[in-house]
Amino acid sequence: MSQQNPQGVAVANLTKSFAELTVLDNISFSIARGELLAFVGPTGCGKTTFLNCLAGLTPPTSGSILIDGVPADPTRHNLAYVFQEPTALPWLTVRENIAYGMRIKRLGARVIRERLDTIMALVGLADMGDLYPNQISASMMQRVAVARAFAVEPDLLLMDEPYGQMDIKLRFYLEDELVRLWDTLKSTVLFVTHNIEEAVYIADRIIILTPKPTTVRSEIVVDLPRPRDVMAPEFLAIRREVTELIRWW
Amino acid sequence: MRTAPPPGRNRMRLRLLSVGSLLAFVLLWQLCVAPEGVSDWRIPRIMLSPPSEVAALFVDKLTNPKPDGETLVVHAWVSMQEAFLGYLLALLVGIPLGLAMGWFRTVRGLLRPIFEMIRPIPPVAWIPLTVFWFGIGLGGKVFIIWMSGVVPCVINAYIGVRMANPTYINMSRTYGATDWQVFTRACIPSALPMVFGALQIALVYCWITLVAAELLASDKGIGYLITTGRFLGRTDLVLVGMVSVGLTGALISLIIDRIEARLLAGLRR
Repeated sequence: MSQQNPQGVAVANLTKSFAELTVLDNISFSIARGELLAFVGPTGCGKTTFLNCLAGLTPPTSGSILIDGVPADPTRHNLAYVFQEPTALPWLTVRENIAYGMRIKRLGARVIRERLDTIMALVGLADMGDLYPNQISASMMQRVAVARAFAVEPDLLLMDEPYGQMDIKLRFYLEDELVRLWDTLKSTVLFVTHNIEEAVYIADRIIILTPKPTTVRSEIVVDLPRPRDVMAPEFLAIRREVTELIRWW
Repeated sequence: MRTAPPPGRNRMRLRLLSVGSLLAFVLLWQLCVAPEGVSDWRIPRIMLSPPSEVAALFVDKLTNPKPDGETLVVHAWVSMQEAFLGYLLALLVGIPLGLAMGWFRTVRGLLRPIFEMIRPIPPVAWIPLTVFWFGIGLGGKVFIIWMSGVVPCVINAYIGVRMANPTYINMSRTYGATDWQVFTRACIPSALPMVFGALQIALVYCWITLVAAELLASDKGIGYLITTGRFLGRTDLVLVGMVSVGLTGALISLIIDRIEARLLAGLRR
């Protein structure tokens, strides 16, 4: 699903080494604005390092990451990153947590309030606004982190296996919620996972990574309408295709 | 974390045990001291006054300025003023300093060596200098008390910041937070439990240093009371001073505990 608009994220020859160890090796890809791109790879293939480079937390050894033609910079661009661990700040309420990213970016009070109302209604957290993280479950903490990320309306939203710890029913529920947020707010999302079914369920396109030194093995377009039926033959066909590409490592 | 109180009957038993042991202690103390002029296996009066005498003198000193010049209430008030002033100043200076040292590399580089050199010097060793600088009044005491209270404040605040969860810091950074924003929005709230620990520790240090400072150079206060008791050979006066120190310290500790419970109810999550 490519857009006419050339703006988006363009990653060229991204390489990251730690001393002798090359983790990321010459990764190149692009994401169009508003696309939901999934990265699938084995555990330990450097997915977190990859996301850290994109988020500007670690500098790449070589290569470029351009957002709308400009090198990616968290102080300049609107980035958001949902980590694998829960990152709800324990001293803030749910509402204050979701507003945290917006406050750092110094958005106006009215804007913050409006976006809070929209997002909290979208994710069904509206009546839990005054609870503290130690009063809610871990899955709700992740939903708070996801809501917080979407609230800043990022140019690029990075997600690092955010639903890895959840059971199947909750996972589907949250994946639906993610797609709903993405579709309503028209965000650009880069979602990293090792769960093939999850990738096929939510993504427009799937990029398959190799083990270390990690590079792009293959790319698959998922052109199915949403909501997707995980038992439908087309779904299973794509899923099999991805699995076989991964199995040939 | 507050644990649940034990159920009804056990709680009564524990309370009775505490009261009982206190009473037993006082009773033993009373019985071990020989009456005036008698000389047997018991402790002579000059070495230890019985609780009956101490209690009597305590009550008397509440209103009687003899033999040391002021009533107990005045002494206690003077001591508490010195302690609180030094304590509050220690908090005001030590905590922001410790927080800044934890986060800002330049501050740490500049101040840590000096801090590490001054830290091992016992506050009481500053007394000769402060007597020259401030005399033996309020100023000198406050300085010494401040010196002892500032150390745990700096250390705890420093550690609190250093122990802040790096994921919270990274998360803030990805939203484009500046160094200052990360410091104020992620590090300082993370450090607050340690800072509150400092409040309790610094209080103990300050109170202990106060008495020591007054023992060595003073003209009023509970420590002065104890010194006067020593010079006059009045063991009962010394003990009244000691009991007052203990009681006042415990009272202040209790107050801080209550304040902390109220304020940290939001944070102890």
